[in-house]
Amino acid sequence: MDYLYDGSFSGLLTCIYHHYYTEKATGIFTKDSYQMNLLNDVMTVETQQDKADRVYDALEEKVSHYAVTCIYKTFLSSVPDKEMKILRFAVMAFRVGPGITLMHGNDVAEGVLGAVKAVGNETEKMRQFVRFAQLKGGIMYGRIEPDHDVTELLWHHFTERFSFQPFIIHDVGRDKALVAYGREWYITDFTDEDIPEYTEEEMDYQQLWKDYFDNIAIKQRINPACQRNNVPMKYRKHLVEFQRVK
Amino acid sequence: MGSSMDVIMDKLKILADSAKYDVSCSSSGVGRAGSGAIGSTTAAGLCHSWSADGRCISLLKVLFTNKCVYNCEYCVNRRENDFPRASFEPEELARLTIEFYRRNYIEGLFLSSAVEVSPDYTAERILKAISILRYEYRFTGYIHAKIIPGVSKELLHEIGLVADRLSINIEMPNSESLSMLAPQKKPEQIFAPMKQITNTLIERGALVGPGNMFKGQDINTPANMLGTDKLSYDNALVPFRKRRDGTAFAPAGQTTQMIIGAAGESDAQILTTSENLYKTFKMKRVYYSAYIPVVSSPKLPDIKGAPPLKREHRVYQADWLLRFYGFTVSELFRGPGDNLDPDLDPKVMWALRNLDFFPVEVNRASYDELMRVPGIGAVTARRILRARRMSSVGFDELKKMGVVLKRAKYFITCRGKYRGDRDFLPETIRSAMIGMEDGLQMSMFDSNWNLMEQGAAMEKLSESGVI
Repeated sequence: MDYLYDGSFSGLLTCIYHHYYTEKATGIFTKDSYQMNLLNDVMTVETQQDKADRVYDALEEKVSHYAVTCIYKTFLSSVPDKEMKILRFAVMAFRVGPGITLMHGNDVAEGVLGAVKAVGNETEKMRQFVRFAQLKGGIMYGRIEPDHDVTELLWHHFTERFSFQPFIIHDVGRDKALVAYGREWYITDFTDEDIPEYTEEEMDYQQLWKDYFDNIAIKQRINPACQRNNVPMKYRKHLVEFQRVK
Repeated sequence: MGSSMDVIMDKLKILADSAKYDVSCSSSGVGRAGSGAIGSTTAAGLCHSWSADGRCISLLKVLFTNKCVYNCEYCVNRRENDFPRASFEPEELARLTIEFYRRNYIEGLFLSSAVEVSPDYTAERILKAISILRYEYRFTGYIHAKIIPGVSKELLHEIGLVADRLSINIEMPNSESLSMLAPQKKPEQIFAPMKQITNTLIERGALVGPGNMFKGQDINTPANMLGTDKLSYDNALVPFRKRRDGTAFAPAGQTTQMIIGAAGESDAQILTTSENLYKTFKMKRVYYSAYIPVVSSPKLPDIKGAPPLKREHRVYQADWLLRFYGFTVSELFRGPGDNLDPDLDPKVMWALRNLDFFPVEVNRASYDELMRVPGIGAVTARRILRARRMSSVGFDELKKMGVVLKRAKYFITCRGKYRGDRDFLPETIRSAMIGMEDGLQMSMFDSNWNLMEQGAAMEKLSESGVI
């Protein structure tokens, strides 16, 4: 039976519940992405928080907190068929226990562990590549366009670092943002219309940074391939130092 | 800032241009949650961009001034070199650092300097700039301060209390080349601050040492103290005790840098010097920079030659073997004039010279033995140990764990099976390896520094206790 869910994490956990107590899932899809076909039965799974909580608690108690973290990070990823990867992982986790997160050689475990790695890598890239600009009113604003939905994973690093500076990290592709001030933060819908103007000195600092960036390279060692390995082209769009036209 | 912005722009161009030959850009070695107004550091370090030469940009790397009273032959800032000069004001530099930092351009500041007036005069200005940053802006990000040889003990100590990492450039691998190329810098002047830093860290029970070299040993003992300070401790009436008085002194330790390829020394000599630095001062890292002719001098090698990047790469690989893989210089070289094999990774070179050590049975070998197998690194060695607790491992599992089998297969057996499918002779394995390095070489050459970054990732893991 194919499951359709609302795309939320609780919704996905509810699906895992039904896999055990209703009928086994052959595929899990979000409602808007599903293509009807004649081969499979379809069930729309209503998100139920109590059922989701039971699955969550069971995973945490019988497997490990880390396994739940892995499942959540996979949920944030954009890997294909992530829902079924998570379901298979959960089923196996209940069987083998916490050791599952070490089983890199196993395809089911690796389905989730690989996604965790990809999400972790991109989170690290975003820690490196968010570029803030100062808005009038003193808020710092940064645009990102990650493949995976890593915005909320950035809160700890940046709130710790900029505790006295309000900031917004805007995922342009998903129209959402991390908004933080002090140690408080939340995720909200956000679009380009919500951005106030930049301060006057902002452009000066961007220019200073570009000048610095150009000057720091040693001409005798120019190495574009290495630079491309470390700063993939897809991320350059939002990096001040790679903008050439004013 | 308005009109003064142009002035700062000019200064930044000049002083970044002069600083770029410093190699280190690492922001690793200290993890600190933000406790001031702005900033935090991550133990693993964080790069923010990569410049056109493929080197990572983590810190704002500038000279405080490039006005120099010295006349070192190899140095772009030498007194007789005719080119633009500038100096920052301490406040200007602090402000610039903060403005870059809050935009997430950088992890912090790497402040070096030419010697203006005298070492102490320059050190005082550096201290002023980083103090403004720490105490007025309450910046808790990363600060790496370069110590100028000849600076007074008191100033060095003050700088160490503000900065995270200190470094003194040893410049050349031996004293002859130093006296030839940097006659105004004396070895005593270079080693005195290195000693002082190590001793201060030992007093505070905070010396960590390079990579895994001293893992599991307590190196913060009076016996490890260097020079005259050691005497005073041995004779002290009060027993030696670890002191932790709240203010951290250079919590990310000290590093140094040397230029290779400028004075005709062998790789064995270079790495012997590094090994001595690691063993004596227990510094975190030695950086190497392929000699780049930026000034012409009759004492220097032909200025038309390209920088020996490949050699630098091999030296770095060997350096990693010293710090993380348990190798010693005497194992890697056959004599003081010996060089690394330019065509082979130094670990492969060692393996081919010591074939009696191989093949290693992966299901029985110790961690240290696994670490000597080409194609197996710290992460994969760990995984092997972990996996074989459950069941024995075969070639397929090794592959999934990330072992580079096309290299490793010549040196291992799995459950008694050998897959090298060639004669177990150095020459046959060597030619197979070179065949594969040829394909690899171009990419390695292109992404020279990327490989260093992977190494840096290893350092990350070790510093955060994963390895």
